[in-house]
Amino acid sequence: MAYSLSLSLLYLGLLCGNGLVSARGSELFAPDPNGGPHFTGCRSREQETFRCWWSAGTFQNLTEPGALRVFYQTKHPLFSEWQECPDYTRTVENECYFNKTFTHIWTSYCVHLRSVPQNITYDVDCFTVENIVHPDPPIGLNWTLLNVSRSGLHFDILVRWAPPPSADVQMGWMSLTYQVQYRVRNASQWEMLDLESGTQQSIYALLTDKEYEVRVRCKMSAFDNFGEFSDSIIVHVAQIPSKESTFPTTLVSIFGLIGVVILLVLLIFSQQQRLMVIFLPPIPAPKIKGIDPELLKNGKLDQLNSLLSSQDMYKLDFYHEDPWVEFIQLDLDDPAEKNDGSDTQHLLGLSHSGSSRILNFKSDDDSGRASCYDPEIPDPEDMASLLPGHSGRGEQHPLVSRSSSSIPDLGVQQTSEVVETPVQIQPAVPSWVNMDFYAQVSDFTPAGGVVLSPGQLNGSPEKKKEDENEKKKIQFQLVSDGAYTSETTARQFPADVPPSPGPEQGYQSFPTLAVEGNLWNGEYLVSASDSQTPYLLPEAPPVPILPPVSDYTVVQEVDAQHSLLLNPPSSQPTVCSHSPNKHLPAMPTMPMGYLTPDLLGNLTP
Amino acid sequence: MAEGSRLYFAVTVLMCAFVSINGVGLNDLLERASQLSDKLHSLSTSLTNDLDSHFPPLGRVMMPRPSMCHTSSLQIPNDKDQALKVPEDELLSLARSLLLAWSDPLTLLSSEASSLAHPERNSINSKTKELQDNINSLGAGLEHVVHKMGSSSDNLSSLPFPISTLGQDKTSRLVNFHFLLSCFRRDSHKIDSFLKVLRCRAAKRPEMC
Repeated sequence: MAYSLSLSLLYLGLLCGNGLVSARGSELFAPDPNGGPHFTGCRSREQETFRCWWSAGTFQNLTEPGALRVFYQTKHPLFSEWQECPDYTRTVENECYFNKTFTHIWTSYCVHLRSVPQNITYDVDCFTVENIVHPDPPIGLNWTLLNVSRSGLHFDILVRWAPPPSADVQMGWMSLTYQVQYRVRNASQWEMLDLESGTQQSIYALLTDKEYEVRVRCKMSAFDNFGEFSDSIIVHVAQIPSKESTFPTTLVSIFGLIGVVILLVLLIFSQQQRLMVIFLPPIPAPKIKGIDPELLKNGKLDQLNSLLSSQDMYKLDFYHEDPWVEFIQLDLDDPAEKNDGSDTQHLLGLSHSGSSRILNFKSDDDSGRASCYDPEIPDPEDMASLLPGHSGRGEQHPLVSRSSSSIPDLGVQQTSEVVETPVQIQPAVPSWVNMDFYAQVSDFTPAGGVVLSPGQLNGSPEKKKEDENEKKKIQFQLVSDGAYTSETTARQFPADVPPSPGPEQGYQSFPTLAVEGNLWNGEYLVSASDSQTPYLLPEAPPVPILPPVSDYTVVQEVDAQHSLLLNPPSSQPTVCSHSPNKHLPAMPTMPMGYLTPDLLGNLTP
Repeated sequence: MAEGSRLYFAVTVLMCAFVSINGVGLNDLLERASQLSDKLHSLSTSLTNDLDSHFPPLGRVMMPRPSMCHTSSLQIPNDKDQALKVPEDELLSLARSLLLAWSDPLTLLSSEASSLAHPERNSINSKTKELQDNINSLGAGLEHVVHKMGSSSDNLSSLPFPISTLGQDKTSRLVNFHFLLSCFRRDSHKIDSFLKVLRCRAAKRPEMC
């Protein structure tokens, strides 16, 4: 089907070749290059009749009338053969007029210009009538003044017209669209307004005292052929002088402006500071909440430390949560009290009572350590007494690096353990301690170091401070490099420690906390042990359980009252794991510190 | 009191019935229909202009004659006098027949418009779709007019459109598209003229139209 259609199209095209144009047609042709006879145009005025004009061109011998004749052919069903022009207009030369009878709308025409004697067709023109309609110009163009502007310089007018009488718009046979043009008189360019389907249009913003020309033309809606322009009308509005009214206005406006300017200047000068703040706000200096920046710049170190410590919210929490730490905190200002410190007394007294209510050791909820401190399992005989460090000569507080698990959001590793200074063994607490794990703080160095004395397994007096002479002093190095130290730095410390008698590995290695702004002014007590890991390593060889108390013991667990329970000397090996079951793996008599699960894995053979 | 309310009720019912029977006046319907046909004709003209903007000259030569439009067999009044003589029913049925004859071809055109080898393809595509919508709404509107005028609605001429595809290669598709569109443009002008004459004859005194 499509193939046949294409073939038929091609055939038809070839058949009707030589200048066959589309149905839209064009009534005007380019002039014959030879200058021979040709059609100059075919037009219809009202879509009921049409005319065609031709010219003989340069062929002089064809100028007499009758030499050239017009034949037309239409595809109207009734008249499909060639016919000659029905009416050669007498009054107009070279015009062929098709009246109503011969005009068929929606039918295509082809007109030929022929010279009959020679039977030569000089020109062909094909079209449909509705495509060659050029309506007559509208009539009755007039204008009325709409308004004049306040200044008297501009005015608006309304232009009206009527459709051409030849076009039957009433019946709807033709629907016309109009275009209005205007210009200043004798100017070169016409201003064109938008197409208008009604019979009136407004023109705005014309200048007074100028003469304007206005004209209008029309075309059929949805077709492209405009008709001729109507005659132009002249529009002129004289300017009304009104100078006397403008003078006071100008004066008032000038004075008003000056007043406003003066007011603005006054306002700016009076509110200069505020405006400066509004427009150029000061850049806020970085500040820590609650800390006076001046103090940061000029304050002394101890003030700063106290400030920072008091500011540290986590440390505050830690304070509240771990009261036992407070016991450890030294009161540096009152050396005389350190031996009689209520904390010590408290510790000792409590230890005598054997109650488990010694210190509240808050167990951490999110403790990462393999905590052996289960608050639900009290161990009455385990007394933990944490002796506060030696009243310091150093200005630093003894460091207890609390496990950072009390600091929830610091992202601390699970390796952090509760580190405490070695605790003093109460007499009532028969906990033996492998001195490998802990060292008793015996003294403080002026530099802020804590001097540890390795505990002896014979019962040492409670007061740790008197044991310094006999005990090895293990230098603990205070790490005071700011908020925290890293594990790597902690590992470096063992190198600085003088060798201690016996296995050294027992010392707790206080884990370093990679914690921001943490406890105790950010200083941690770092064990000088040469342990491989920051964890508490129960890698010391087994030590026989000795009934006499040693200087320190291991905080084994925490009971429900948040008391520290130290390792019972005769207790079976307990594993420090995060399960309530506490059994030491493979080192039965070893007091265990904290064990993390991975540490546990390391330990089990 | 009861008498008054009953009377009031009866009057309301009568008015409602009257309004529902007449509904929108015939004049308004025809006015609306002629506006739609105006729009239809403008759309088809602008479509043809778009196509002409980049039409190969060869295509013009190959363009079929208008008599090859599938609606050319319909007998229509060719000039104003004839149009004035045709009865209104027949005018209406002519318009409706033409409208009906183009619903299938427009479907084909809109399906082919998106793959046309023409730079203005998108605009052509959207306008073709709009054309389809317009034809449908105009057809529906003329149905109302038919009922309003009371003429029989079954004397429509059938103008079959046997072509199912526009062609195999791009040039022939483009040429046939253009040809169909020019046929449609002519027919939309016919529909527009007929409806405007109808509007005049239904609204004003017949001697003026």
